[in-house]
Amino acid sequence: MLDGTPPDAGRVGEGKSQLFELPPELAIDADVARRVMVGFIRNQLQQAGFSRGLLGLSGGIDSALVAFLVAEAVGPENLLCVLMPYRTSSPESIEHARLVVDQLGCASELVDISPMVDGYFGRDGELGAGGETAHDATPLRRGNLMARARMCVLYDRSVTWSGLVTGTGNKTESLIGYSTIFGDSACAFNPIGDLYKSQVRQVAAAIGVPDEIIRKAPSADLWPGQTDELEGGFTYPELDRLLFWMIDKRRTDEELMAMGFAEVAVARVKRLIAVSEFKRQVPPVAKLGPRTTGVDYLYPRRRPGSARR
Amino acid sequence: MKPLRIALAQMAPSLGALSDNIARHREILAAARSGGADLVVFPELGLTGYQLQDLAAEVAMREDDARLLALAAETTGMSAVVSFVEESSDHRLFISAALMEDGEVRFVHRKLFLPTYGLFDERRFFAAGDRLRAVDSRLGVRLGLAVCEDFWHLAVPQTLALDGAQILINVSSSPGRDLAALHEVGLGTAASWRNLMRTYAQLTTSFVIFCNRVGVDETISFWGGSEVIAPSGDAIFTAPLFDEGLHFVDIELGDVRRERIGLPLLRDERPELHLRELRRILAERTEMSIDEASETQPNPADESETH
Repeated sequence: MLDGTPPDAGRVGEGKSQLFELPPELAIDADVARRVMVGFIRNQLQQAGFSRGLLGLSGGIDSALVAFLVAEAVGPENLLCVLMPYRTSSPESIEHARLVVDQLGCASELVDISPMVDGYFGRDGELGAGGETAHDATPLRRGNLMARARMCVLYDRSVTWSGLVTGTGNKTESLIGYSTIFGDSACAFNPIGDLYKSQVRQVAAAIGVPDEIIRKAPSADLWPGQTDELEGGFTYPELDRLLFWMIDKRRTDEELMAMGFAEVAVARVKRLIAVSEFKRQVPPVAKLGPRTTGVDYLYPRRRPGSARR
Repeated sequence: MKPLRIALAQMAPSLGALSDNIARHREILAAARSGGADLVVFPELGLTGYQLQDLAAEVAMREDDARLLALAAETTGMSAVVSFVEESSDHRLFISAALMEDGEVRFVHRKLFLPTYGLFDERRFFAAGDRLRAVDSRLGVRLGLAVCEDFWHLAVPQTLALDGAQILINVSSSPGRDLAALHEVGLGTAASWRNLMRTYAQLTTSFVIFCNRVGVDETISFWGGSEVIAPSGDAIFTAPLFDEGLHFVDIELGDVRRERIGLPLLRDERPELHLRELRRILAERTEMSIDEASETQPNPADESETH
């Protein structure tokens, strides 16, 4: 879809050839990135007065990488991975999540969200809490509710685990809005939200995420056979390159096209970004008083006295 | 001649926790003293943390604040550069770096250039300083103090050197970013800073001391990598990235003389040429006559009001 293959695009993977494709301009120093993200996690937890983190482990690369980072930051004994399959989820997802849990030696819990989701949409002809209109819901509505059910479980488990929900969304999906607001994007903090998918792969390979997780096609696993790249009509290396030059390097449409990116691809990605801007921001508050949060009442999230204890 | 021992306090201040940070400065000063340091350099806003936003007013101190004076009192027989939020008598807030020596605050430099672009929003919360002067120190050498962004403006190190500084000290809270593999040490910020400091040291034939903080404020991770650069432009010492540490570095002040005799760049500077051309440029920009545009022609009528 995007074209614009870089002249010296290589298949790189920190010495593991053919593991994934890394556009050269997106290559980062994985050790420095790891250092920064691990320090960030420690600081976020410590400033909030917590010593533990938890996350939803899907079996995909993003949450696998975050699990490795949290384990490195505060020790695997302070990490809880929650596996939250729906009844149609791929069995491979659970297997891959278990690989991560076993490799890290961290705590894990399995919470089947099927009764929560089916309780709303209904099942096998029986209406759920959502009534008639929910019974015939589109895959999008169902996927959104699944993402939000998982959010509910994570925030509940954050109480029992005494830990903070660690975000697992990457920069690519955030920019194109490929996430459910208040669902998979909900978190206390996110260490990998400024890494493109290609860079997630690079750091994941460096930190020791199992190859089968790095190699498989990324999927939201909201319905059988779904993959990000099929659904979006792009490949991640292509999309990441376009986003990198458009956002990070501020190239104009004309410059992007001169680089070989297709006009239709540039237009489509720009629209995806614009349409999803609301997902990346805190909801606006109508300005009425003299000092309004987020407008002219501007404090760090954490300051002396804001830790839980 | 006995070498000058510099202690670089590459520390991670706690955001907004003034008393904790003061206590930490005390500990570091004591450690530096027992390590034989003549000059201890703390990072930008080491007493308060960087990403303060509206907290800035809450941690601000007057130049004669008792807490600051108490810290200064611990510098008997040594020198220290300490940075904090300064509130002036007319209630402007500055990012300041104080030279403390022999138990008192000798000099305060107010940050001149406040980055307000990209991830920075300093001008919203702070006022910019308007004085740039080198200062005599008990070390027997004039020092030039600057804060972070001040060094992203060529005139600053040059003016300090022309004013007699032989050691240029930059205290920073530089956020690490631009993590591309192509950069030296994988961090674009570090690569840029290293270029700047080596260049300034060589062109001003002065020592450059760079103390950058570490730790995390909100989303920002500070990269450390504090350095001491010789007047030849060669790095004498480079601290690790991201790690806290108190690093001792000995320098030979004689290197300044040797470098300036061998490479008399500073001798050959033409400040009068700068001044003349700057006056012309300013006049052309404002479409005024050179005399009108110049700030150096005081109006006698104003004297009584300004003093």
